[in-house]
Amino acid sequence: MPTMTLTQTLVMGLIQIVAVLVLIFVMVPLLTFAERKVIGYVQVRLGATRTAGGHRGLTGALNRGMWAMGKVPVLSILRGLPVFIADILKLILKEDIIPEKADRAVFTLAPILSVMAAFGVFSAIAFYPGVLFTFPAGFPVVGGLPFMGFISDVNVSLLYIIGLASVGVYGIVLGAWASNSKYPLLGGLRSAAQIVSYEVPLTLSLLVPVVLSGSLNFREMSLRLATGEGMSWLATFPLMAGFLIYTTCGFAETNRTPFDLPEAENELVAGFHTEYSGMKFGFFYLAEYTNMIVVSTFASGFFLGGYHFLPFGLQRFIPATVPFFGQPSLIFFFGKVFFILFTYLWVRATLPRYRYDQLMDVGWKYLIPLTLVNLFVAALIRFAY
Amino acid sequence: MEHLLETLGRNMFGIFGLLALAGAAFMVTARSAVHSVLAFLFTMLCVAGCFLSLEAEFLGVAQILVYAGGIVVLFLFVVMLVEISKFKQKARLEVFQNQSRVAIVAVLAGVAAFAGVFRNAIFGKASPDALVLRPELARGLDVAKQNAQAVSRGLFADYLLPFEILSVILLVALVGAVVLAKSERV
Repeated sequence: MPTMTLTQTLVMGLIQIVAVLVLIFVMVPLLTFAERKVIGYVQVRLGATRTAGGHRGLTGALNRGMWAMGKVPVLSILRGLPVFIADILKLILKEDIIPEKADRAVFTLAPILSVMAAFGVFSAIAFYPGVLFTFPAGFPVVGGLPFMGFISDVNVSLLYIIGLASVGVYGIVLGAWASNSKYPLLGGLRSAAQIVSYEVPLTLSLLVPVVLSGSLNFREMSLRLATGEGMSWLATFPLMAGFLIYTTCGFAETNRTPFDLPEAENELVAGFHTEYSGMKFGFFYLAEYTNMIVVSTFASGFFLGGYHFLPFGLQRFIPATVPFFGQPSLIFFFGKVFFILFTYLWVRATLPRYRYDQLMDVGWKYLIPLTLVNLFVAALIRFAY
Repeated sequence: MEHLLETLGRNMFGIFGLLALAGAAFMVTARSAVHSVLAFLFTMLCVAGCFLSLEAEFLGVAQILVYAGGIVVLFLFVVMLVEISKFKQKARLEVFQNQSRVAIVAVLAGVAAFAGVFRNAIFGKASPDALVLRPELARGLDVAKQNAQAVSRGLFADYLLPFEILSVILLVALVGAVVLAKSERV
């Protein structure tokens, strides 16, 4: 890799950041749309089928014509896909209300903190272990330089990511407090208690890959765990258990069903974001879905084999000479990410919400002992090998 | 552009340090306890930035993880649940309470002690070697690349006993806090 000047590093970093942002802003709306459809089909209905639009304007004229002919409006060919554009427009155009008794500064800061913590994580995630493509030589400033599959290659990236995740709790707690209202405060406290409790088993379950791979770097861990380099074949079992525990805790960390008590609508109106509207609410929404993507990236990178085809260190059975399945690829990584995102929706459509005491029981009485045993087994395997 | 970036990079430590000081000042003077906590969070993140600018990545990230993440969440809990009602009872809150004279003396003593300890480190000649606990333990380690390993050798090989004693002290503090909190209810 050619050495880069500081300007080139900066510009390259900015390009990569914009690329990741575009990825997030494409994936999140599509994810919300997928949520409607997947849950719809699981519950034997069609979900969003049409964006009929109004009766005015160009689409309105088309729609009226279609209805007049006794057909479903033209936009429904896309199976309701434009709904996600309508969703975004609604969030952006809605009036932004700050309650009179709210703490204005903190009220504004809270969604920003949430989104900042959620987006910041991506700077340490490696989407691909090597060079994705090289800029052509004539390109201004960054000509001839490689575009890597990661923004920064920090050697303690795992700790950085866990640290930022805990900063993300502030957004929720502060937003809840600043609303100066009962239900948000209750929701915020629930959320904080829940996230703080589940952070323990989450971090402990991530220690299993750390112990087995002997690294804290996302890229290195992912590669070593997938190929099982320097690991006993027994390591597959703690990895499998770790994957189940990690995804469970990940669901709790992102406040998704069955752990969505902070926004239990039948008890708390809408939980911590009751008083929020417009794009401030949109930011919380964005942060939640971005966190889902982050959890999926983690589960994919550490447990499901990341850039390689087979999960849990089983990739060693496919020699690197096999043309497609033996090589690391972006397709495998994102395929796994999408699978876990789908699991999120699947679980949401299937499982009912926990009661609060059950939630705490699951966290403290079952998950933490389980992770400790799992970690012990992993350490034994590492030690014996 | 290149020159500007280089200057900026060289002064990153100073920039983060000043920001941390500003955050700390705001934390002390803020009227609302939650604003204080926010300023404290900002200060901790800036201190983490200081560590990162010195290439101590592990320390910087541990700073975020432990202080910004863990401790301040608990702090926030306490502030939200306990302190607010007390604050509202007082009509007017002095920024500097009446113990300010004692505080000034304590701060001066602290500054003197700090200067005594770090005089050499700040004003003396820069050491050619990195500051390591026992150099022979760090041999064969690229400290800039293997932060975590270097710190863990210090903690778990060199200073194991003080480290364990420290954790017992923390446990004592934890038990003490539980006892104090419980006694209020009786």
